[in-house]
Amino acid sequence: MAFIEGFGSRIVEYIFLSLIWGEIFLQFIDQGNLIDDNTILIRRTLRSGQKVNFSGNVVILGDVNPGAEVKAFGHVIVFGSLRGMVHAGADGDEQAVVIAFRLQPTQLRIANHITRPPEDGSAAPDQPEIARIKDNVVTIDTFQSGSERQIP
Amino acid sequence: MGEVIVITSGKGGVGKTTTTANLGTGLASMGHQVVLIDADIGLRNLDVLLGLENRIVYDLTDVIDGKCRLRQALIKDKRYEGLYLLPAAQTKDKTAVNPDQMKQLCEDLLKEFEYVLIDCPAGIEQGFRNAVAGAQKAIVVTTPEMSAVRDADRVIGLLEASELRKPALIINRLRPKMVRHGDMMSMEDIIDILAIELLGIIPEDEMVVISTNKGETVLSDERAKSGQAFRNIVRRLKGENVPLMELDGDGLLTRLRRFIGLK
Repeated sequence: MAFIEGFGSRIVEYIFLSLIWGEIFLQFIDQGNLIDDNTILIRRTLRSGQKVNFSGNVVILGDVNPGAEVKAFGHVIVFGSLRGMVHAGADGDEQAVVIAFRLQPTQLRIANHITRPPEDGSAAPDQPEIARIKDNVVTIDTFQSGSERQIP
Repeated sequence: MGEVIVITSGKGGVGKTTTTANLGTGLASMGHQVVLIDADIGLRNLDVLLGLENRIVYDLTDVIDGKCRLRQALIKDKRYEGLYLLPAAQTKDKTAVNPDQMKQLCEDLLKEFEYVLIDCPAGIEQGFRNAVAGAQKAIVVTTPEMSAVRDADRVIGLLEASELRKPALIINRLRPKMVRHGDMMSMEDIIDILAIELLGIIPEDEMVVISTNKGETVLSDERAKSGQAFRNIVRRLKGENVPLMELDGDGLLTRLRRFIGLK
């Protein structure tokens, strides 16, 4: 079940991913079992104070602004800038990943790992990135779709 | 048919009241019938900005409680024909009014006025809910600071949830010089986060303080840059297509200097 707080239900549209999507998306599906039935699509920007909780994967077509929160038992994919708080694998799944066009979260959590961006204010990413747990450490890499099998 | 516009921001002190006063005088100077509602019950300011403080007899809560007729509470502006103020009560608090009553009040005012501008209090609690209840349109004011932008974002989310889908943005107190040196958020930085239509940018200007102290609005000051910015915003509100004014241009000389690489 999805719990979407902070905005009227009429504004949010979420449909199961199997219904639509473009090329990149199909690649994801081909690459592994990232997408299953238990996924919601949110076609809007999450603003400060808005929150999405879902027991599966969450895909957002829009930005996640500072002060907004996304919490998913599965993966979190943001087709936009991710500047808020994100928690993938919230029920302890260490295989969960976070992918965003611009990965600049206030805080990023995967399973029981909690991380924050480095204090030195390094430059904003200019390409999509993926965050996942490698050797028990949350690692962020450039996301290259198709070139390697990145999705666990 | 008139329009009810709420001016809001979330954060306090970013210039909601100043904006309301200036947009109101601007619309009135173009011959429109305008009423300004001060929804900041308990912390009223709009009357002071317009220099109408000493004319208040009845206020918004008196109207809602039926202690007076709507007409009796409206204060006519000193300078502008067609500009009226409905002041807030100072001795009560936000719970003195509820959203349904505000809605009714706006409907009543729309029968006589072309524009109803509501000066929203800071915060997102009952005062905010009252102020947006009767509005059809919203203007969000922010300053180029992280905290103000964050609050504006929160407020935009709440406005969208209350069916005020397309709020417009005013960026207040921008300092072009600081932006140029990378010491202040730029217009682009703000739009990047908020992603809503930009209604205008008002530069930081001492003239705003000077005119406020005199109980006047800066809009009527022909030389003030901020006044020009407000006049442009008023024209955009009316649907005109006015390009953003050159804030950086301290005149031809500066531009020339920059062109040949001196600055």
